Amino acid sequence: MALPGIRPKAFRGLVAFAETEFRVQLHEEAAILTSMVVQVVLLIFVSILAPALLGVALVGAIVFSFFALGQRVLNEAAFIRVDHKLNELYLSSPLAPEAYFFGMSLGVLFAYLAPIVVVVVVAEYVVHFTLVTGLVIFGCATAVWLFSCSLGYFVSTLFRDMRAIWPWASLLYNLFGVLPPVFYPITSAPTGIRWISLFLPPSAATALINETITPTNLTGLEPAIAAASLTIEAALAFTLAIYWSRHSVREG
Amino acid sequence: MTPEALVAESVRKIYRQRNGPTVDALVGVSLRVARGERVALLGRNGAGKTTFLKIASTLLTPTSGTVSVFGHEVQTEADIVRSTIAVVPQEGKPFFHLTPREQVYTYLRARGFDRSTAKSRTEEALGQMELGEVADRLNITLSGGQRQRTMVATVIATEAPLLFLDEPTIGMDPFARRGVWESMRRLTRKGSTILLTTHYLDEAEALSERLYIIERGRVLVDGTAAGLKEEVGGTLRVSIRGGQELAETFASFGSLVREPEALHIITTPERLVEVMGVAIRMRLTATIGPVTLEEAFLKVVGRSIDAEN
Repeated sequence: MALPGIRPKAFRGLVAFAETEFRVQLHEEAAILTSMVVQVVLLIFVSILAPALLGVALVGAIVFSFFALGQRVLNEAAFIRVDHKLNELYLSSPLAPEAYFFGMSLGVLFAYLAPIVVVVVVAEYVVHFTLVTGLVIFGCATAVWLFSCSLGYFVSTLFRDMRAIWPWASLLYNLFGVLPPVFYPITSAPTGIRWISLFLPPSAATALINETITPTNLTGLEPAIAAASLTIEAALAFTLAIYWSRHSVREG
Repeated sequence: MTPEALVAESVRKIYRQRNGPTVDALVGVSLRVARGERVALLGRNGAGKTTFLKIASTLLTPTSGTVSVFGHEVQTEADIVRSTIAVVPQEGKPFFHLTPREQVYTYLRARGFDRSTAKSRTEEALGQMELGEVADRLNITLSGGQRQRTMVATVIATEAPLLFLDEPTIGMDPFARRGVWESMRRLTRKGSTILLTTHYLDEAEALSERLYIIERGRVLVDGTAAGLKEEVGGTLRVSIRGGQELAETFASFGSLVREPEALHIITTPERLVEVMGVAIRMRLTATIGPVTLEEAFLKVVGRSIDAEN
């Protein structure tokens, strides 16, 4: 029997595992439909309390939707590992550990893309995006998604009990995604929070997108700080997750 | 080409807990599995079987010692090892929101099989595990035994050179278990090697050509089912209902195993007539059967526990 002696490439099996996760997620229609609950509720609040801010809130809803995908990755990775023990099946196979993490993230992204596209279409109808805004949305959404999925995967490996994971997941995603100025303009944030929010990927992304719509939100170096922090944090988080996916294959 | 599929030398694993005592899960385990062999790893709960399988399948770092698969170190050449093995994890469950057909097919694709091979292997494995009727139902709707069969189908479809099966037939009915056994035999005929753990000793006896018994992290027995049974002092068991108080009467005919409801006398065919003669004279209800691997296991492990205590 010939033994394959080729060292697997870093992303070997990526497409196949992304397809696996896509199929798994598609069977959970209710989860996909309810993934928009927070965004829709907040949009309703804004449309009642401050209709003039609906455009800002819609941009926030787009960014938050990509950010929330990380929570899905966290839950999925933890569920597969803690409840199903399926990580042992996959990680002891030729599937590269990096492909396991990134394939899971891509599968979740594609499964949840349809409702996000609806939000984007509604936002476009209300705000009328320019080409520049569209490109900035694409870049920022990609960075936020990378950051969020990487964070989610990393956190999922730290616990051995689903019930221990849930509160941390909720805390992380509310702290990063709801509290800072994502659904409300950065100009309404108190000075301290305004500075911090430039370093938090969801609020930095929202500020940058809104800057292309209303160029008076950010002053001085703030756009550069927001863009740099978003890019660096996304790159660092993704690099960490790629490293961690291989490093954490083996326990103790 | 190394003749062994698996070689483990002095494997030790110590679990260091943050707020508790350290646990010596493996204390210098050495074992060898030849290519094409079916070998069972037996032991009580917590004996170290799963820890060993996890180390051998690249999922756990040993504290010391080495394990090599087809000549490749699991520690330093994990990527090569992973391309030669497949694992049924203990208590593993298939994706609840996939069907058995999707589960097997997508796993093969993730391992790098092309679509056509993955498809044909999927159908073959589902057929072997008799999952055809439920192949398109979501795994979440299947019984525990059907889910376990899906896990086994997923792994046997790979036809990997070395298969690690951690309690592969748990929760299966007797028909399904025999289906798994037949698949295992078919795989080894094709050249695969199998190392399995099980608590069903009839399964170990029916399936494995050799067995290891692990007790408290050490290899207690390295041999065959027949050899182990010989160690208990006979090949036949006479069970006498409610015969506890008669232990002295039968002590000279062989070794005794006491249970609350019965007394078992392990004896030889030559002494069977004498034992039955005594039982008939005393008007006792006695049944005769072959010594099982379970009795041999209880005897050998029990002896070890007594010695340790």
